[in-house]
Amino acid sequence: MGRFKFVLYRPLQTIPVLIGVSIITFVLVRSIPGDPVRVLLGPRAKPSIIAAVREQYGLDEPLVVQYFYFIYNLLHGEMGRSIIYRVPVLDVIAERLVPTLFLLSYALLLTVALALALAIVAARNQRRLPDHLVRMFCTAGLGLPAFWLGIVLIMVFSVGLGWFPVSGYGDGFWGHLHHLFLPALTIAVALAPVLTRNLRATLIDQMEAGYVQTARARGMSERALFYRHVLPNSLVPTVNLLGVAFSWLIGGTVVVETVFSIPGMGQLMVSSIFSRDYLLVQGVTLVFALGIILTNFIVDVVNVALDPRIDP
Amino acid sequence: MKMKSVIGGLALAGFLALGPAMAGEGVLKIGRDQDSVFMDPILVSQNADVWVMNNINAQLVRNTREATGIEPDLAESWRISDDGKTYTFSLREGLTFSDGSPLKASDVKFSLERLRDGEESVFGSMFGVITDIQVPDDRTVVIELSEATTPFLSFLALFAAAILPEAAVTGDYDAFSQKPIGAGAFRLVDWRRGDRIILEENEHYWEADLPKLAGVEWIYVPNDNTRVLQLQAGEVDAMIFVPFNRIAELDSDPDINVHLDPSSRMDHVLINHSHEPFDDVRVRKALAKAIDLDSIIEAVTFGYGTPANSYIPAGGMFYNADNPSYEHNLEEAKALLAEAGVEDLTIEFVVQAGDANYEQVAVLLQSQLAEAGITVNITKQETGQVWDTIVEGDYDLSPNYWTNDVIDPDQKTGFVLDGSDEDVLSYYTRYNNPEVNALIAAARVETDEEKRKAMYYDLQRIAQEDVNWLGLYYSPFRNASRSNVGDFFQNPMGRFMLETTTKQ
Repeated sequence: MGRFKFVLYRPLQTIPVLIGVSIITFVLVRSIPGDPVRVLLGPRAKPSIIAAVREQYGLDEPLVVQYFYFIYNLLHGEMGRSIIYRVPVLDVIAERLVPTLFLLSYALLLTVALALALAIVAARNQRRLPDHLVRMFCTAGLGLPAFWLGIVLIMVFSVGLGWFPVSGYGDGFWGHLHHLFLPALTIAVALAPVLTRNLRATLIDQMEAGYVQTARARGMSERALFYRHVLPNSLVPTVNLLGVAFSWLIGGTVVVETVFSIPGMGQLMVSSIFSRDYLLVQGVTLVFALGIILTNFIVDVVNVALDPRIDP
Repeated sequence: MKMKSVIGGLALAGFLALGPAMAGEGVLKIGRDQDSVFMDPILVSQNADVWVMNNINAQLVRNTREATGIEPDLAESWRISDDGKTYTFSLREGLTFSDGSPLKASDVKFSLERLRDGEESVFGSMFGVITDIQVPDDRTVVIELSEATTPFLSFLALFAAAILPEAAVTGDYDAFSQKPIGAGAFRLVDWRRGDRIILEENEHYWEADLPKLAGVEWIYVPNDNTRVLQLQAGEVDAMIFVPFNRIAELDSDPDINVHLDPSSRMDHVLINHSHEPFDDVRVRKALAKAIDLDSIIEAVTFGYGTPANSYIPAGGMFYNADNPSYEHNLEEAKALLAEAGVEDLTIEFVVQAGDANYEQVAVLLQSQLAEAGITVNITKQETGQVWDTIVEGDYDLSPNYWTNDVIDPDQKTGFVLDGSDEDVLSYYTRYNNPEVNALIAAARVETDEEKRKAMYYDLQRIAQEDVNWLGLYYSPFRNASRSNVGDFFQNPMGRFMLETTTKQ
């Protein structure tokens, strides 16, 4: 039990991280040239109107004052109002978070299923045809750009065969599952190769390990040996890698979201940066940071559970 | 073994595809490239917002279908006093907003005063001529102007002059702004940001038997290829902004109709007149002559554009088809540069990154101007930045476009040619010709149509001779719909005339 004590104090460690993220985002997004109010009102708005709106949003105040307001609001559970949408930042984020979380979980599930299946087939058929095929898939998967693969999948499975919708998010759980299959698959095809290669290598390593040789000498069947010992012992590095991949995905779904028109966080992030919606960028970044911290935390917990030797 | 489960999975997925039913009859789904952000008519000017507001709002008057004149909307008739300063409107009988509440003259007064006085009202200055609005009864509105303003009626057809329910706007504004109420043909039912806007037929709409559709869904599909694929798969009934390079392909599909509706869009290249040597008209003329417009139009618009010879769009009010234009002539361009004493000219060309057409224009201009001995440095900036650069004047040339908001040329002319307006500086070109400024002011109050037309012919000629900017091309709106959709039409002001659109 002692090994899990970090569950209690780890959340405290996230506070300085979040403060750091908030300061960096706050300064960075304001230091890129451009003006949210100009984007909001369009090129035909006269400078006098622009100035009036800037004042209304407090954008004419010194940076320190603006940051103070931001933190003050944050401590009261608010993130301010989006400059472009003119509604609370939290409302905008809440609308977009669900599609992205659904897509990420779906993609992760497909990735793990794909990687496990491929790595096991490859490792158990080392240097034979299935292994070569898996390696070919890995190279191809890594090389295919998501926007291209997405369009090809749409052309084959949506326009050609009519099995899946071209794009969108759908209604209800089954609707989401149906609409998000191709986007999740697009992500999985890009992500699975990294995990597959890693897992395959670890599996092969483990199959040659001393304890495996011993068990084999004692007459244990290859099948039982593989699923009872080799596979569980190979998972720790893969879970770590999965955590890294997931963290990367949290901010990296924008291409897939754009190709498949999914109203998610990735699109929101990019559009809010383009429109210089400072408060929205800050909100989205904080949510992303929280997501990444949470992912790492879960990875730690899973690792401790998987490997009794780990004591953080 | 593994292969089998993959096939099984695909079969299951195929089964799932049978699940969702087809879209409801008479609901038109339109795929579009941009998302709406806000829909208070006085606070926005982006097409993505305006085009949806056009469907849910109504004004006192509106542009005719082809945008060649003004016709009654909420007002059934009006009278203009002889001195041109008093407008008296009679509202139709029994008007209501889409929520069923009555639309009264007081709502008109409220909406127009809000438009004129709102601190953030984008088009407020156009309505500064209104000195007083009287409502003698619920169906009569009397508007007094400080001076006779010939284009005033066309201003009232602007989307920003929509008549809004006073009670809803002054009540819970946040609720109103997220679910706006108007008196147009449709009412807004659901607004899912980043996804779609769902409109339903407004049963209270004043025009009998319209709209013909039960509803409209504006669906945000940012990726051009995806939007085309959605149309091909029948997931949407129509799409807007067909990329130029896909027009021919879509047109050959028997299930799809491509609509190239005439637009008021004009693409041009802004010139910063405050940067030397662009203050010299000979240098600006040299640029105009060094450009091979035909090859730009062929490359960028696949030949769907036509060369622009006036700042007024072809087919627009007072457009002069015989306005002079510049022939491509490198020798003359070089001679003009030599005459102006300009050598080794280097141009800072600021272009909006990510806009394929502009980036193409930039590269073509770069190679064409190189033949005249002019060096072009292309600087790419993204949307949020490029307008600041132009407003601040940190550029030499920058490509841009304009679509008209009102049919009368007054608004655009004032915006792009009136150097005496220190707020806008001739659309930030810093072009300032006192003769032009005076002519604009005179044309605004001229009531004789023929004289006014002659003034605008002069303005077009002078602007062209002065090379206020480099006119590029006029191009049509490019939309497409499936063959079961009837009368999908976008008028030259950009308004989608969805009232009469049908879907079988």
